Amino acid sequence: MATTLRRLSRVLGWWLVMCIASLPVWGILFGLWPDEDTSIADLSRLLAYQGLGLSLSQSMFSALFSSLVSLYLAFLIYSQYQSHSKVGGPWLEKYLSPLLSLPHLAIALGLVFLFSESGVFFVNGDIGLPRKGLSTFIMAIIIKEVPFFLLILIAVGRQLPLHGWLLQGRALGYDISTSWWLLVFPNMLKQMRLALLAASAYTLSVVDMNLLVGPNIPELFAVSVYRWQGSFSEGDQALGFWANVLLLVLLAVSIIFLYCHEKLAIKVLQHWTVLGRRIRLGFVDTLGQVWLPASGLLILLMVLVFTLWSLGFNWRSDTFSLRNLNTHLWQDEWLFVALPLQNALLIGVSAAILGIMFTLLALELQRQKGRYLPDYIWLLGILLPQLSMVLGWQVSHIWLEGGYHSGWVVFAHFPFTFGYAYLVLKGPFQSIDANYELIAASFGYSPWQRWWKIRFRLLFPATLSAFAITFAVSIAQYIPTLMIGAGRVTTITTEAVAIGTGSQQDVAALYILLQSLLPLAAFLITALLSSRVAGPKHSTLEISRC
Amino acid sequence: MISRRFSTKLIGLILLVSLSISNVMAEDLVAETLDETSAKWQQTLKVAKGKSVYFYAWGGSKAVNEYLRWAKREIAKQYGVRLIHVKVTDPGEAVARLKAENGRTSAIDLTWVNGENFAYLKQHDHLLGNLWSSIPNVANLAIDTLPITVDFGESMDGYEVPWGIGQFNLIAEEAVFSNAQFSADDLLTIARNNPETVTYPRPPEFHGSTFLKQLLVNLTQGDERLYMAATEVAQQDLLPKLWAYLDTLHPYLWQQGKAFPTSSSEQFLLYQQKSLSMAVSFNPNQWIKEKATKQIPESSVRRSFIDGAITNSHNLAIPKFAPNSEAAKVVINFMLSEQAQQLKFAGEWGDPSVLKSMFDSRSSLPAHGEPHSSWQLILEDAWQQRYGG
Repeated sequence: MATTLRRLSRVLGWWLVMCIASLPVWGILFGLWPDEDTSIADLSRLLAYQGLGLSLSQSMFSALFSSLVSLYLAFLIYSQYQSHSKVGGPWLEKYLSPLLSLPHLAIALGLVFLFSESGVFFVNGDIGLPRKGLSTFIMAIIIKEVPFFLLILIAVGRQLPLHGWLLQGRALGYDISTSWWLLVFPNMLKQMRLALLAASAYTLSVVDMNLLVGPNIPELFAVSVYRWQGSFSEGDQALGFWANVLLLVLLAVSIIFLYCHEKLAIKVLQHWTVLGRRIRLGFVDTLGQVWLPASGLLILLMVLVFTLWSLGFNWRSDTFSLRNLNTHLWQDEWLFVALPLQNALLIGVSAAILGIMFTLLALELQRQKGRYLPDYIWLLGILLPQLSMVLGWQVSHIWLEGGYHSGWVVFAHFPFTFGYAYLVLKGPFQSIDANYELIAASFGYSPWQRWWKIRFRLLFPATLSAFAITFAVSIAQYIPTLMIGAGRVTTITTEAVAIGTGSQQDVAALYILLQSLLPLAAFLITALLSSRVAGPKHSTLEISRC
Repeated sequence: MISRRFSTKLIGLILLVSLSISNVMAEDLVAETLDETSAKWQQTLKVAKGKSVYFYAWGGSKAVNEYLRWAKREIAKQYGVRLIHVKVTDPGEAVARLKAENGRTSAIDLTWVNGENFAYLKQHDHLLGNLWSSIPNVANLAIDTLPITVDFGESMDGYEVPWGIGQFNLIAEEAVFSNAQFSADDLLTIARNNPETVTYPRPPEFHGSTFLKQLLVNLTQGDERLYMAATEVAQQDLLPKLWAYLDTLHPYLWQQGKAFPTSSSEQFLLYQQKSLSMAVSFNPNQWIKEKATKQIPESSVRRSFIDGAITNSHNLAIPKFAPNSEAAKVVINFMLSEQAQQLKFAGEWGDPSVLKSMFDSRSSLPAHGEPHSSWQLILEDAWQQRYGG
């Protein structure tokens, strides 16, 4: 009886997680279903679009380059902080919180305001960033992705026997940085695969940041896709359909590329290990040391700029001085932002918890089965083009006639929080030492007890990171919130994104700051909690003097 | 010069003819309008009471958002109707939703729309008709003096109601743009003398496309063929002038024409930050409002093309399957009241009124009719082919 029950619950579990994992496919199928008047002729019209080749290659390049550079930088920083800094992990995690909290668009806005031509710190044409260009876009992405990768590295690193590996390295006569790159990196690279896929898919399809700082002669591909899909001029919808198909092809190519990169990198590093090669990083090492303090300073400057803007300060205006600063705007808007903030908080917490619960379920079922399904199956929500996917959900939601309330919005955020939770938790989950559970079993713990008291406990710090990230992901959702909530459910992001399309920098800055508040709180609280739970012994490796 | 004056007269004639045609239509429409005291309207008011109206409207302007917050309070007070502003980034979001709903009960009761979005919605039968004959205040629309019965070549036919007026103008530094009106040649001289400070939003953004239309009108001395469906011959005659002009202009533009602002909002920010000497706007009073709130320097002025500002309207429409269409009509009626139109114009927004009683030539610019809608797509496609890649 008990076995039947267990089997039944397992089937039910599989059924549930497969439903969630297939929601994105469902959305894409319905959202991309072509209109009757879409034809192959439209495809040739798309292929003849002036500048398409350059647009595609720039999009691809920016996606792969920025995610790989971010990954290598993040690992460099991680290895340095782990081996040199006494304070190590928990401190690093708290420090990352503000870096992770500003939305992508805000980073881009701050970057061009500070460093482009006519920017505050613009020096000359060779050093400053172009107001619109691939380099600015890539720079903004990297600034945003490095802390994201770092957070995941911390989560992954907690479960790995780093200390042992590094000791082995020392025994082999490697210096510390060689040990990190030859022994630790190949292992961590595998576990970072999902984050890498997510980051490059994001860069490939991000629109708002692209519109602001991306090049536009030609535009990056995501912008063209967005424009055609959102336009109802003759023929644009058909172009939008084919452009989405092409975007899917780009995504597939980028996934293949990243898999190949992983294989190749591991092979090269293994080869070097065999050769007993040393790794000398030179100036790159310094880059790793200054990156975090520099980006911390940068974010601080940005927050300062946004605060000044929201207080009515206009940098270039000749009629304004510091004396004119006032809090009118904060007072005016406060009344109207309380509800959107509250909605965002509730939706974010629910979607994050749901995402984590289902991720744990999916991971546990796979562990029991003894086989893990390919990663991209679980990450479709993050990988597939969001607009088409949500369009499909919108159509289904309308058919269901279920009304418009926060519950549906949570449900629409769910596939994204699920994807990100899976991305954060898979590595730590897999690397939990099974011996602990074995020992617990020998003490007579039931499977449930073993799972809850041992596995989940060990996983708890990573779960906290996953919570912070998925919460921030939910807060940042604009398209699903608007399209499924239909304006009945306003969040701080639906307000912020709408006002961001205008030209009032004071209000826009105010909403950027408000929008960052909730993720900041989540990152800080979880960082504090995880430093308690994990304890200092996990975080610092006493090997700095080797 | 002679030919130019002649063609200006010709345009005048065409406009006159088209105005008298619209007058005929106007009389038809006025004859059909509804009285506020009529039983039908009283019934609408009664049905509307206590209902909610979800209004899909662009949420990017603080002035518009503030105005709608005021309207929400007034409408609740006067009619017991709850107006909810659904802030969207692009009117296309409402169109996409109506397309997805495909005839089911809509989540939208009222939408702010014009141009291609209206044409799509009307042609696909997504809108409620007969608005002009079921909303009393429509009778006060200034259809004799303003081009507000046709929306980018698509006749409104009662599927939408004009709410405000857009007129293409520049907000510019007085020292750079010294004359109230300018021609394409003047603009080239200005760009040459002040390199990297002039630009326009990247077409097909609609300010950018309108900028191209204004140039085309000026460079072809307002050729009459621009107001008819674009023929192959007309394109071959007229467009080369624009391309030759842009070939000369682009190297002097901001970023040497290798990048363009993506929107009028972005261009306005660049103007505010003094990277540019001009911004583009469809609101003829934006410059004065921005000056009043110290968003732009005192030396900012309004400038327009010598041929007159291309003028169009932005409008309100009700989806065919809106659950609270009667309440939406009450909202439209309020939006067309003198009280609401007065504050829209005189308040922070500064959007010109569409009412007869409030037509004020000082607040608006000399108007120029929209070229035939077929030209827009042709201009955008050709621009992309020549400069977009």
